[in-house]
Amino acid sequence: MAAADALLTGLPVSTLRGATPLLFVLLGECLTQRAGRINLGVEGQMLVGAAAGYGVTALSGSPALGLAAGAAAGALLSTVFAVLTVAVDADPFASGLAVWMLGFGVSAFAGTALVGLRIDGWMPWAGGITPTIALALALVPVCGFGLLHTRTGLRWRAVGESPEHARAAGVTPWHYIVAGVLVGGVLSGLGGAALSVDYTRTWAEGMTAGRGLVAVGLVIVARWNPWLALPAALLFGLAEALSLRLQAADSAVSAHLLHTLPYLASLGVFAITCARLRRRPGGGAPAALGALLAR
Amino acid sequence: MAPVELRLNGLCKRFRDVVAVHDASLVIRGGEVLALLGENGAGKSTLMRLAYGMVRPDAGHIEIDARRVRFDAPRDAVAAGIGMVFQQFSLIDTLSVRENLALAWPRAPWWLGRDARRPGALDAHLARLVPGVDPRARTGDLAVGVRQQIEIAKVLLREARCVILDEPTAVLTPAEAGALHARVRALARDGFAVVLITHKTADVRACADRVAVMRAGRVVGEAPAADAADARIVEWMVGVAPAPAAARPARAADTPVRLSVRGLCAGPVRDVALDVHAGEIVAVAGVSGSGQVALAEALTGLRPLDAGQVTLDGQALRAPGRPARPVAALAAIPADPRRTAIAPSRSLAVNLALKRLAVQPWRVRRAALEEQARAPIARFDVRPPDPRRPAGTLSGGNLQKLVIARELQGDPTAVVACYPTMGLDVVATAQVRDAMLTLAANGCAVLWFGEDLDDLLAHAHRIVVMFDGRLVADLDAHTATPQQVGVWMSGHAIAPDPLRQAA
Ligand SMILES: Nc1ncnc2c1ncn2[C@@H]1O[C@H](COP(=O)(O)OP(=O)(O)OP(=O)(O)O)[C@@H](O)[C@H]1O
Ligand SMILES: [Mg+2]
Repeated sequence: MAAADALLTGLPVSTLRGATPLLFVLLGECLTQRAGRINLGVEGQMLVGAAAGYGVTALSGSPALGLAAGAAAGALLSTVFAVLTVAVDADPFASGLAVWMLGFGVSAFAGTALVGLRIDGWMPWAGGITPTIALALALVPVCGFGLLHTRTGLRWRAVGESPEHARAAGVTPWHYIVAGVLVGGVLSGLGGAALSVDYTRTWAEGMTAGRGLVAVGLVIVARWNPWLALPAALLFGLAEALSLRLQAADSAVSAHLLHTLPYLASLGVFAITCARLRRRPGGGAPAALGALLAR
Repeated sequence: MAPVELRLNGLCKRFRDVVAVHDASLVIRGGEVLALLGENGAGKSTLMRLAYGMVRPDAGHIEIDARRVRFDAPRDAVAAGIGMVFQQFSLIDTLSVRENLALAWPRAPWWLGRDARRPGALDAHLARLVPGVDPRARTGDLAVGVRQQIEIAKVLLREARCVILDEPTAVLTPAEAGALHARVRALARDGFAVVLITHKTADVRACADRVAVMRAGRVVGEAPAADAADARIVEWMVGVAPAPAAARPARAADTPVRLSVRGLCAGPVRDVALDVHAGEIVAVAGVSGSGQVALAEALTGLRPLDAGQVTLDGQALRAPGRPARPVAALAAIPADPRRTAIAPSRSLAVNLALKRLAVQPWRVRRAALEEQARAPIARFDVRPPDPRRPAGTLSGGNLQKLVIARELQGDPTAVVACYPTMGLDVVATAQVRDAMLTLAANGCAVLWFGEDLDDLLAHAHRIVVMFDGRLVADLDAHTATPQQVGVWMSGHAIAPDPLRQAA
């Protein structure tokens, strides 16, 4: 009974805390893909966001400044992807991998200076909610309404469906594609900063541990819909919170295996969603994404 | 609204080695319907895409009301009051009808609400121009005729003063085309300038004030529509008077059944049974949305069967759950070849080889494919006849010819052709029709889905009519009249199922 209590008390807040960094990235990648690009570089963008966020927080003592720096770093790195795929028309998958490696290298290099620095982060508000969590939750309706209820969102989606037809309708596609990539950069940078500044409050090389790539997969689970990004991210957060608690409870299962729990859970939902998509093709995927594969 | 005058002066456009438009000049005036004609690949679509800013001219300029303008993108042309409905449409299939309109509406408010439902003006506009359509419907699910009306509604929503329609009647039944003609006349009466690209002299007769004819990238002639006799227009277009239509081949009695359809259900198609004998041409007629396209899709393997089965020469061809592989013996000409029958970024040679992939050697040599491609390209006069060009760069009519060339090569024992002459000029139409008649004369079973009743009645042996997903009539084409068929098509004739009766 006591064991179950230890496992369950405060679980909702732990879930939210674990889900927050991923939620930022997921929303960003969702918007990027809706404009017709798949950016595998989000992993690298998260890493530079995490490093910049941690560094600036440590130097300035202000977590808010840290988050802003993380967002800026993510945006900066995503311009590399934007230039490669829009101006040069390079392959988006290769470009994404390049950005990922670049982000990994830059953050590892800059991160050596961060080792040993300490930060305090935010004092949680009542109920364990931090400003980061509130910001992520607030972004869900902003993205949801913005994409599905506004003129800008309509054009954004039209470009993702068919740049050629959107152009015929009087839209300039590359504006929206670049915007999509940059917004993805800002949000993945924020996600990285949320991870280092608010969630773990440490810096470690490669600390994002594949969260960016998980986000790329979970976009499919969320059907490219910002509203559904919330449950998708919460699922990951819940699995992560449980795995941490099971480790703390000295469970018989190896800690290494428990670490994989959030990824296994994501993979499971991903497989189920894809199997269902096979029966009902389309399922909300922006059509221009398919065109990327067909080149 | 002040009538607009749009002048195209000496426009040139080349795509690498192909000159699409060469020194073409044209005046388009408000209050007038200009019919733009010309053979396949003459440059009609490209000239109008230049006027709409989709492509930029290499030389020449455009004037509106005697002021020189420069269009960098369609956005600029839209702002100048030009609207265009493309040959291949430009609605975004996955968006709703209302969202497609909102996308094109310059005065759309920033806050649109879910599914763009807030601006009531959109629904009002739709109700006026496309009555009966559900504004929330996914555009891709609608019938071609309806999609086209939405395209026109979209152009008018933008307050265009000059409306360009690229082959709008190619996919319409005569009744739908009649409605379009009326709409076009009404637009001209209201002061709009209308450009109508077409291959059908019926369109010219019904609604044009002036005709302009293009050939090899130039505008070679212009005349008031009243002065231009049909034969003269055709001569302008292709340089020769068209050959008289071939007669339908006589059919030997008691030939065996080749293509047999039993109890076929697929999407809107319900319980269709049909036999096509060797040497027989069976036409399928119906108003659009009666399920003909779905039936053709089911037969050609584009749509899974819910029930029933199809056999070709006694061999199972289609059945529920059976993978739909291309069959060499079946020539399948689908309704929308650009979407379903070609790989646009691949060369003509590869596209022509698609059905024979299984018989290619393990190491495919490009030169060999290109060599094999020459004969079919020459046979149907696909232009430009370069097997290495990507198929996606062909003009609408030449793309159709390419698909037909691929499907009719070899010796198919059955042909399922859905609107096979769609978008073809007079010469190509005659060529394709003759090819099908010859195949039938040699014992092939031909199932021909068409929109032009006179054409079908003149060439088929039997005509079956679809209504609401069912075959409702099976008539002898030698004796049936268009009126008779029309009554069946409208679903007004109430009679027992003739197929059942015969059984
Ligand atoms: N994007 C492109 N790239 C290369 N060639 C092109 C491109 N667009 C058009 N062409 C070529 O330009 C020529 C004119 O094409 P266009 O589409 O204007 O013909 P069209 O008169 O509309 O013919 P149709 O009646 O068949 O539609 C064709 O030879 C075509 O192959
Ligand atoms: Mg054309």
